[in-house]
Amino acid sequence: MLRPLQRRKIRRRLAPYLLALPALALLGLFAAGLVSGLMQSFGYIPAFGLTRFTLDYYRGVFADAQLAASVKLSLWISVSSTLISVVLGTLLCTALVRLRKVRGFTLQTVRLPIQVPHTVVALFTLCLFSQSGLLSRILAQAGLLTSQNQFPNLVFGSSGSGILLAYVWKETPFVAYFVLALMQSVSQHLDEAAATLGASPLHTFFSVTLPLSMPAILRAGLMIFAFSFGAYELPFLLGATSPKALPVQAYIEYIDPDLRHRPYAMALNGIILLLTLLLAAAFFLVTEHTAKKLGGDGHAT
Amino acid sequence: MRRKQSRFSRLILAAAAATILFPLALIALWSVSSVWEWPGVLPGGFSLRGYETVFADYQQMPRLLLFSAELSLAVAALSTLVGLMTARAIALYRFPGRKLLLFGTMLPILVPSTVFGMGAHVLLIRAGLAGTLRGVILMQTVCALPYTVNILTDLTSSVGDGLEEQAQVLGCPPWRAFWAVSLPELLPGILSAMSMAYIISYSQYFLTLLIGGGRVRTLSTVMVPFLTGGDRTVAATYAVTFLFSVLAMYLVFEGLIRLMARGKGSEPWNWN
Repeated sequence: MLRPLQRRKIRRRLAPYLLALPALALLGLFAAGLVSGLMQSFGYIPAFGLTRFTLDYYRGVFADAQLAASVKLSLWISVSSTLISVVLGTLLCTALVRLRKVRGFTLQTVRLPIQVPHTVVALFTLCLFSQSGLLSRILAQAGLLTSQNQFPNLVFGSSGSGILLAYVWKETPFVAYFVLALMQSVSQHLDEAAATLGASPLHTFFSVTLPLSMPAILRAGLMIFAFSFGAYELPFLLGATSPKALPVQAYIEYIDPDLRHRPYAMALNGIILLLTLLLAAAFFLVTEHTAKKLGGDGHAT
Repeated sequence: MRRKQSRFSRLILAAAAATILFPLALIALWSVSSVWEWPGVLPGGFSLRGYETVFADYQQMPRLLLFSAELSLAVAALSTLVGLMTARAIALYRFPGRKLLLFGTMLPILVPSTVFGMGAHVLLIRAGLAGTLRGVILMQTVCALPYTVNILTDLTSSVGDGLEEQAQVLGCPPWRAFWAVSLPELLPGILSAMSMAYIISYSQYFLTLLIGGGRVRTLSTVMVPFLTGGDRTVAATYAVTFLFSVLAMYLVFEGLIRLMARGKGSEPWNWN
């Protein structure tokens, strides 16, 4: 017979694992999905009679000019939209904290883009920046254009500018919202101290508020980079017929009736996976580093 | 100097609000325009043709809205329940593998759902879940889990389990202690986790399309072909319908949160 105290001890030891069980099942599905994709990218698809592991499909991706262009386009869109969104989002967050608008109507407005799906963002990007969009109409009214074709093909051009603008609209508020909690607490505790010691507001921002908010800014940046590198909706709805962004190209290969295209789809996904896992590692390092400095565990401080 | 700073901040906020609201207003305007030819900056006329087209069939649109809401509520409930259990494990216990669990639950945010979806598709086909509602709910729940775990972990550790333990010491069974002591404290956070998961699920396009295989039709998947179709008035009407339906549910959640928190309002997520 176990004494009640012992029973309690055992229960406390087992409880977290039991509580985590459903999440572990879901994460198991997640991991299985990734492993299944990776195996297929190495050419292991027994259902198609392919059982030899090979790196040929990855080599094939980089040898194919069109697929290589996809990789480059996706990198360009993600790098530029992330950099712009992080800078603008931090600025927006600073303004919110400075004016103490950390709740209420202003914050709700800033939160609004989180509720607007990418597909709808694509629609108004068209309404604004396509050759028949509002911007081209305004230029025409000003007498700068006489036909739609004179307006640069921002949305469906190969530069991916439309996709980039759409991501910036969606992600800038996300960065601001994500960083808000940390920057607010930093500013609450330290701004006044710095001001008392004679620092100018600008100096306080660059030497106190910004560096201390950096972990959250970095993590927001890593999240939106990973997202924009792998998301399907915007580059599917906007962008040129060629080159296509990685996830769009991957899905095209995936649904190709010729099943020999399948491993190429998975190799493109493998590239996305490799890059996002590296970002995930960076994300966790930033989290851990912050946790050590703050003496917590990066969550729940 | 101070005043100049706050004027600059105000300028930024005004510019942000305008940039956020203007495109939405533009879509609303498109949805009620009858003709709007280039290079007109304003519509040539107004009509409700878009709404008449989208709601032409009295049955179809309300049914689609209801189905999409039900699916997303199921995902919200499921991911919040699993999220709450995980959050309790992470926040209230110290055990080997805790950090791994914490990081593991964050992975679906960082690894795109396209990669996960295409990889897992074959597994779902084998399990007979492809093309089914259950399959779509399962996949979307994985994607919503990081958000619910994150919101609820912070909350659970700030509520703690001190009071719950006291209740147990006084002879209250553990389940009742949780139900009567902690749950009321956690309720606003549970609702904001559900609200977040709902929005993620309701907006989901790619996974629903891939796993649902055209058999699971939500507003999000039905409207996409119209968005880039030739008729911009109809496209805008779909977008407006979507936004109103998601906003309506958001306000329901927000209203309940206010009610629970008795006017405290919702806090931004604290990820840090």
